[in-house]
Amino acid sequence: MPPDEVIRTEGLTKSFAMGTTVVHALRGVDLVIRRGEYVAIMGPSGSGKSTLMNLIGCLDTPTSGQYWLNGHPVAALPEHELARIRNREIGFVFQTFNLLPRASALRNVELPLIYGSVPPAERRHRAKEAMHQVDLGDRMDHRPNQLSGGQRQRVSIARALVTNPALLLADEPTGNLDTATSNEIMVLIDRLHSQGHTIVVVTHERDIAEHAHRVVTIRDGRIASDEARRKAAVS
Amino acid sequence: MNLGESTRLALESIWANRLRSFLTLLGVIIGIASIIATAAVINGLNLYVSEKLSNLGKGVFTVQRFALITNRQDFLDAVRRNKKLLPADARAIAERCPTAEAVAWETHAQVDLKVGVHEIRDTDIGGITPGILEIEPYDVEQGRVLMQHEEDRAAPVAFLGYDVKDRLFPNVDPIGKELRVRGHALQVVGVAQKKGSFLGFSQDNYVKIPFSLHRKLFGTRRSINISVKAADPARMSDTMDEVRAVMRARHHRRPAEPDSFGILTAEGINNLWRNLTQTIFSVALFVVGISLVVGGIVIMNIMLVSVVERTREIGVRKAVGARQADITQQFLIEAVLLSCLGGAIGIAIAFVASALLNAYTPLPAAFPAWAPATAFVICTLIGVFFGIHPARRAARLDPIEALRSE
Repeated sequence: MPPDEVIRTEGLTKSFAMGTTVVHALRGVDLVIRRGEYVAIMGPSGSGKSTLMNLIGCLDTPTSGQYWLNGHPVAALPEHELARIRNREIGFVFQTFNLLPRASALRNVELPLIYGSVPPAERRHRAKEAMHQVDLGDRMDHRPNQLSGGQRQRVSIARALVTNPALLLADEPTGNLDTATSNEIMVLIDRLHSQGHTIVVVTHERDIAEHAHRVVTIRDGRIASDEARRKAAVS
Repeated sequence: MNLGESTRLALESIWANRLRSFLTLLGVIIGIASIIATAAVINGLNLYVSEKLSNLGKGVFTVQRFALITNRQDFLDAVRRNKKLLPADARAIAERCPTAEAVAWETHAQVDLKVGVHEIRDTDIGGITPGILEIEPYDVEQGRVLMQHEEDRAAPVAFLGYDVKDRLFPNVDPIGKELRVRGHALQVVGVAQKKGSFLGFSQDNYVKIPFSLHRKLFGTRRSINISVKAADPARMSDTMDEVRAVMRARHHRRPAEPDSFGILTAEGINNLWRNLTQTIFSVALFVVGISLVVGGIVIMNIMLVSVVERTREIGVRKAVGARQADITQQFLIEAVLLSCLGGAIGIAIAFVASALLNAYTPLPAAFPAWAPATAFVICTLIGVFFGIHPARRAARLDPIEALRSE
């Protein structure tokens, strides 16, 4: 497969047993995302976009189908291998930030490096760098509850960036933020894209999706549309 | 993730819930503290007994009317069967046991003593043959011990235990002073060094007088204890066999009948004592073991609560790359540290308790050197045993559901 493909899925399906009935959340998804792309995945709730995001993020394994992440086949990896892939190749940004409440911002950012067995000195250095990248160089020792919502999301983005992953995967990154703060966060994500990061944003908000250069719409477990957009004006 | 990081995380978590952690640990703290305090007391008693018995000297044993008796029926049998031991028995041993190097004897009576306004109660008046000083030497503080010529003519002389001197002759030189026992005036010739007390009983409340004088004062019907020193300490059992044969012959025992007297060695007394204290310790261990199991269950319970509370945190850790092994390690180390923290507090309490026991009670507690290490091993085992289930439960959480949890 071409070396610039960050994501390639072929016939990806996922079914869940809900009591006696089987729910087909994904019914065969073929998706290719190349290095440096900025993709929004849209769809109404129940469309299967969350399931797709979990599979792309290696938090779950597909019922059938193939998935290559950054060239590695990952569809059938055991738990500890998936954990390593999540650690090295993927940076998650969550709607609810998911920071550890008792740890300082800097320590939250260090967390992936701890599991990546990066030595302490280098860890600290890289975490500080990531904090500067999200313009929070002066908030490193603050705890999450001493930060605003927008600042917390910046910390979470720094945590996603710190391992220099192949893919930044943001799940409704502005869902818990007001409009002004949402804009700030999207400006930051746009900037990260312009610096060369590959970004996938899962959202149901059209104006968030408009930041992306390509919008993939999921409906009933299948890709309903996949369209390139002209480069959005930075708001 | 390395151990240092896991340890740091665990300490942070324990510290964040410090009151809860402390309450969780009460079971382990109390368990460890009481087991070590018990061990300290028993250790202290053992050391004391061993030290006292070692004074008896090598190759020395005593023949007494009764052996060490540990049940009531044996006692009743022995009272009926065993004759009093007499000086004639001792002389027979001295004559007919070639490997006995020295034979001496002592008999006892209790009296209250008074000198002027000073008095002391329940003093042990020991009638000794001076030969006993070769077998069990006394440490002399002042003056001298008793002499053979004093025994030969039943001289009215006395050698005092330290307490007797202290209570009857405070602030005066007792040598040459007069002490009345049963209306007879005895002259003090020496004072022994202080031995101290054991379990609250003074070891210094005695007066030694010549055996011949003792018979004049207290009569001839008292049983004696015979001390025998083997010529070769390494072959003491040969000497004991000779003595047993002589005594059985004198008491006309048939081959199948049990001894009608007791032979006691320092080793025998020490063994009996150790059996006794080991039994006490085993019972204590069992009782305390229950409290440690309860303590472990409490730790497991609180760890399960902690896993539920931190479900979201576990989800985040998994999302950023924690493997099941990392999560297991983190929670297991937390359980072990929690348990060892309890152990450390327990050890500290036991240390203070044994110091207090020593200072304020007659119990000679000696904090055993092996106790801290053993306690930590036990606490680690408790932590692992009761922590593995919560840790596995945390590790197996599905990251997607964990992230979704409130």
